[in-house]
Amino acid sequence: MTSKRRFRGLIVAGGTLAAAIVLAACGGSGGIENSSSGPANVQTAKYTPPPSGDLTISNWPLYIDKNTVSNFDKATGVNTTYIEDVNDNQEFFAKMQPLLAKGQSGGRSMFVVTDWMAKKMYDFGYLQKIDKAGIPNVTANLRDNLKHPSFDPNRDFSVPWQSGMTGLIVNSKLAPNVHSINDLFDPQYKGKVEMLTELRDTVPLVMKADGIDPNTATQQDWLDTIDKLKQAVASGQIRRFTGNDYTRDMANGDVSAIIGWSGDAVQLQADNPDIQFRMPTQGCILWSDNMVLPVGAPNTTAAEAFMNYVYDPHNQAPIASYNSYVTPVDGVREIFQKTNPDLVNDPLIFPTADYTKNCSTQPNLSGQEEQTVTRAFEGVLNS
Amino acid sequence: MRNQRIVALRRRLIPYFLLGPGILWLILFFVVPMYYMGRLSLDTGVFPSFQFNWQFSNYSDVLSAYDTQFIRAFEYSAAATVIGLLIAYPLAYAIAFRGGRWKNAMLLAVIAPFFTTYLIRTLAWETILSDNGFVVHTMQSLGLISGDGRVLATSGAVIAGLTYNFLPFMILPIYASLERLDRSLIEAAKDLYSSSRQAFLRVTLPLSMPGLVAGTLLTFIPATGDYINAQFLGGAQQSMIGNVIQSLYLKQTDYPAAAALSFTLMAAMLAIVFIYIRFAGSEALMGEEVEST
Amino acid sequence: MEAHAAALPRRRQSAGTRAWKWLKEHAVVIYGALAIAYMLIPIALIIAFSFNDPAGKFNFTWQGFTLSHWAHPFVISELTDALLLSLRLAALATLISTVLGTMIALALVRYDFFGRRASNYLIVIPTATPEVVLGASLLSMFLIYGLSLGFTTLLIAHVMFCISFVVIVVRSRLIGFDRSLEEAAQDLGADPITTFRKITLPLIWPGVIAGALLAFALSIDDFVVSNFTAGTTVTFPLYIFGAAQRGIPVQVYIIATMLFATTVLAMIFTVWQQRRADRLASVRPEQEV
Repeated sequence: MTSKRRFRGLIVAGGTLAAAIVLAACGGSGGIENSSSGPANVQTAKYTPPPSGDLTISNWPLYIDKNTVSNFDKATGVNTTYIEDVNDNQEFFAKMQPLLAKGQSGGRSMFVVTDWMAKKMYDFGYLQKIDKAGIPNVTANLRDNLKHPSFDPNRDFSVPWQSGMTGLIVNSKLAPNVHSINDLFDPQYKGKVEMLTELRDTVPLVMKADGIDPNTATQQDWLDTIDKLKQAVASGQIRRFTGNDYTRDMANGDVSAIIGWSGDAVQLQADNPDIQFRMPTQGCILWSDNMVLPVGAPNTTAAEAFMNYVYDPHNQAPIASYNSYVTPVDGVREIFQKTNPDLVNDPLIFPTADYTKNCSTQPNLSGQEEQTVTRAFEGVLNS
Repeated sequence: MRNQRIVALRRRLIPYFLLGPGILWLILFFVVPMYYMGRLSLDTGVFPSFQFNWQFSNYSDVLSAYDTQFIRAFEYSAAATVIGLLIAYPLAYAIAFRGGRWKNAMLLAVIAPFFTTYLIRTLAWETILSDNGFVVHTMQSLGLISGDGRVLATSGAVIAGLTYNFLPFMILPIYASLERLDRSLIEAAKDLYSSSRQAFLRVTLPLSMPGLVAGTLLTFIPATGDYINAQFLGGAQQSMIGNVIQSLYLKQTDYPAAAALSFTLMAAMLAIVFIYIRFAGSEALMGEEVEST
Repeated sequence: MEAHAAALPRRRQSAGTRAWKWLKEHAVVIYGALAIAYMLIPIALIIAFSFNDPAGKFNFTWQGFTLSHWAHPFVISELTDALLLSLRLAALATLISTVLGTMIALALVRYDFFGRRASNYLIVIPTATPEVVLGASLLSMFLIYGLSLGFTTLLIAHVMFCISFVVIVVRSRLIGFDRSLEEAAQDLGADPITTFRKITLPLIWPGVIAGALLAFALSIDDFVVSNFTAGTTVTFPLYIFGAAQRGIPVQVYIIATMLFATTVLAMIFTVWQQRRADRLASVRPEQEV
């Protein structure tokens, strides 16, 4: 009886395996295996005014004031859906990639990603070029120092949403003497320090504190710095690595000094006046988050109309005063002189050249170097 | 005659009709994906283009890189299982033997908390265990932790979270087993043995073994692959293997490495399950005795 | 004098030992009560925080009591959309998995057939597999096939992990089932389908409902498998995961409290129904004369 059963069991197992192999043979085309990559033909979006219809935008959270979207809808007749589902460049890329590879955008007409991710997506052929006819305000009002970035010299496929600075956010009561990134490694702050999961923010900042220019660093420089971080984790110096959630730990008082983004400091300050942004002595990292048009984007006309709309200084002003990041639009300062005079000299929204004299832009990594460095860094995050 | 044969044939086929759709679903979406995961684990290449290449070195690469997280996952999970057992068994015993009229209410009180979303429960613990919160201050004044110590971002917090979140999986099978016990056996044992402690150790405990082992298994295995507790309650040094798998799949898009790691985890867990089934039979996994049909 | 001296210490002793004895006897119950209290702590916090009144953007600390958010629990459109999607997904997944699972349970309990043992394993093993492996394997398959992730892939995944739990619940209900009622019906001339409809189904109904309830709860609550198979679709737990990074709005706590209250009520209702069904048919064989 048992041997007969075992025999039958084997037949069932064998049959299932055979069926599975047959299923496997009809593998997918367009799947992750044996797919092609690279921009075959990068299209340019066509701007056909007037803007109308539905528009879906994906952006980072807490990046826009309450009224801009509805004001835009009223001014143009477009019906905008604004979703805040970009929490991390890599995670967003991983989610979107299967769609973008097939030329689809999942219904999104526009989304906002950081410089390096915009470049990465463009190199894969996942973005469309923007029709300049639809964005005259951008051409006119984009700040000079953002007009020709190295990753998109003619601003063909990206339009800055906001710029920002990565530096120190400090609780001045708990950590009054932290002024340099290297102060974060001071044992008196052990377990009260956090850093960002964003590779291109954390490692370059630590490199700068050791005198290395991130934009000319070698792969070995990257790996050595990552090693320094690994040791700081092992000793318990760094409590953890975070994305936007450092705000919780700062607000709770669980940490006293972190690497963070300039705009968040202002929002944290509203609840706790001791918290402030500090420009590290060796300088910060400058970056922009950019509006881009994905392949397969429906209604690119409305998307470009939105870009154009927020580049009118009158419309940009409430956005800038809400999120306290560096505004990429000229003319906002003049408006603030009448409406928000206390913000006119805010270095976080209008940083002077002197304020950012030691700052670097986010460095570029690609190919094998990117994979090696990313893997090493992720190994530290998941120690 | 022919009618009889048709009826007999129909009766023989009925179980397959009943079984078919569900089993087919499980085969297509549980068994077959395992094959694909195995296949992905043997790919080489750079994102986004991978090729199948019998790349067994993926496994050795990934296991040597992440052995710490693997071992840590087993350690945390084992600790959570043991502590969970110590909490769950007396609780199940209390409900089964001392519950009386309140049995159902107590069971409800035990299960209901787990009808809030898993994430919110864990985040609630993150708030409760915050450095400047009531719990930590009390522990500091009682001397349980040092004056500037913390609970969050330590192994303790992660283990506490795992224990809490998997408690119902431990309680319910043990309760079911205890509930099914023939009370007259326990009465007899109390008559025969000198103390109720002896009666418990020699009769109750052994008879509740199926439920106990089922609960242990249903806690240990899912807890090993968990990553939420480590993410919210732990720090940089508390990453479990689930965190790595999630990072590799959903952040780094390093699919072959991710699949290799996941496949290894699954193989390890399946091995434990099969050893268990060998000893106890498959019905016992549901906390029941083998029934007669 | 002797008696007086002997009486005094005995009275003192017995008070102390009496207390100790009471403690030992009720140790288990006290322990149980403490355990239940421990399990309810986070729930208390969640309910409390639904009344929080955060001043700034972040909702991390307690700042004040207010009922105003309870008046507007659905103001955040992304949250409401995610909730509706989760409810739709859970409803469909529950329907499909309950039907399939009940059928499997009937087959497993009542018939002996070739492949029964293997089916038993196949049912039980998914419950003992880490969720990360379930999600990762499904994602692997979808990636290789180049399928678009979304509601459909979510539904597939949810039904998959719900079936096993439905089978386990319905099965335990079926095992103690008294067949004599069915046999009586068939003696009276009812064909199998009518017997099933009029006798079997109503009697196992509480078990089926319990299984469905469990499936619903599992689906609404699922995070890990959904994280891997949702793509860009956002379910309620996935929304919370994203929101956790910048402060969960009070509305999330409110909705969580509402879900909790609803499920508790549903459970109470199910138990009440089960008691009724128990009285209609003898479920425990050992109670037969």
